[in-house]
Amino acid sequence: MKIRTMKYIVKEGFANTYKNLLMSLASVSMVIASLLIFGIFLMLIINFTYNLNRLKAQVEIAVFLESDISQLEAGDIELKIKNDERVLAYTKVSKDQAYAQLMNQYLEDSDLLEGLTPDFLSESFRIHLKNADDSAAFTEEISKLPGVEDVSYPYESLKKLSAVLNWINAGSMVVLSLLLIISVSIIANTIKLTVYARRKEIEIMKYVGANDWFIRWPFIIEGVIIGFAGALASFILTCYLYNSVESYVNTHALEYGINDLIKLVPLGNIGGQIFIIYAIIGVVMGSVGSVISVRKHLNV
Amino acid sequence: MIEFRNVTKRYPNGTIGLQDATFTIEKGEFVFIVGPSGSGKSTLLKLMLHEETPTEGEVYVNEFSIHDMPRREVPYLRRGLGVVFQDFRLLPNKTVYENVAFAMQIVEAQPKDIRRQVPVALALVGLSKKAKVYPEQLSGGEQQRVALARAIVNNPSVLLADEPTGNLDPETSWEIMNLLDEINQRGTTVIVATHEKSIVDLMKKRVFNLEYGRIIRDVQEGNYTNED
Repeated sequence: MKIRTMKYIVKEGFANTYKNLLMSLASVSMVIASLLIFGIFLMLIINFTYNLNRLKAQVEIAVFLESDISQLEAGDIELKIKNDERVLAYTKVSKDQAYAQLMNQYLEDSDLLEGLTPDFLSESFRIHLKNADDSAAFTEEISKLPGVEDVSYPYESLKKLSAVLNWINAGSMVVLSLLLIISVSIIANTIKLTVYARRKEIEIMKYVGANDWFIRWPFIIEGVIIGFAGALASFILTCYLYNSVESYVNTHALEYGINDLIKLVPLGNIGGQIFIIYAIIGVVMGSVGSVISVRKHLNV
Repeated sequence: MIEFRNVTKRYPNGTIGLQDATFTIEKGEFVFIVGPSGSGKSTLLKLMLHEETPTEGEVYVNEFSIHDMPRREVPYLRRGLGVVFQDFRLLPNKTVYENVAFAMQIVEAQPKDIRRQVPVALALVGLSKKAKVYPEQLSGGEQQRVALARAIVNNPSVLLADEPTGNLDPETSWEIMNLLDEINQRGTTVIVATHEKSIVDLMKKRVFNLEYGRIIRDVQEGNYTNED
């Protein structure tokens, strides 16, 4: 294709979009609506995953030893933990330290702990792993070691959180595909109007011997323009909304003292990727809509 | 050169467009196709343009075989054919110059060729002074001349005209026919479907008479009908 043909095609594409401004705007708003709803789901997924991973990394695995364990056996277990490649850091909590912690926690009801001596408590190791995904396997292995009484890890709750995440994932996919279908058909309808408005011109082009693609491309460009404009507008809207939500959540989390627990991903970290995702979806919606319309209504 | 060999065109609704037509039109000929409405004049032209394909038989136009050519070659067939219609089919939002140049732009002609050839075509049809005017400001005859300029600007070897004077008064019709004759003198094959008895009778060209899809008469220097 020659450069001036490309210029012509792009120019015609823009001219088509402009001549059909009202319908083009309607299509653009549909793309914006689709992408915004999709964006809400996307943001939920991103932040859930982010917080889940942060949570996993913060959670420590507590390995409780049998209370009558010998020093030698305890040393063996400590060595195992120390040499395990998956372990980031660990601390040893002696019976006395555990007792002190307990006393501290029940300061006001210390009579509850009457008669309790450090000897009743077990020694334990508090372990942080490098990668939270290793938790299940690590917990399994360590609990089989002789002298280990119990291993505590909030595995079940994390699994439930992951399940919730998967549901949101699946839900957003369903919503996205529904919205895609609606948007594509609305774009196809817009292009149909352009094809109709320009049918005389198209007929002349056919008689003079224009190539099929020479006739088709401007309409596809029109669809791409609509899709991209929608993507750009919804990206700006998403950024604005996300910023508001982020500052709201962060100030309120601080108020309730859970700012360590819940934290939104800063927009700067994900903005670029979000824009690329929006642009791809928008452009694909636009061009698919055009191609459908051109195939149906343009008998070139 | 155009050749039809035992060509039959049946439309899906059962209508016969053309039946067992066989003829040859040599390069540089001028042919009138006459006959009542629905006798197959338009079908004949549509077959040459690959707007329709024959149900039976073979159609050759220039180097193309209409009856078995791939769709992607159709634009190249049409670049060798100029077409003029009864209703002019000009673009109202383009000037006379732009309408003619449009035919060159869409076949990806060089801009410098466009600048050179469009004025030549406009001069040939006598509209050099109206280049910047919009079609609605022109008379019917002038509009048809713009359409003629557009049809010949790419130098087609064949010019097809479907009732080119159908919307024009007798005097203007003569102007258009004289233009077609002049284009023919320059070597272009011209094929005109028409109802204009007086013009056909006076111009003494080759005439095909069509009736119910059959070519019932094919004479050189003929009249509109048999009765002399």
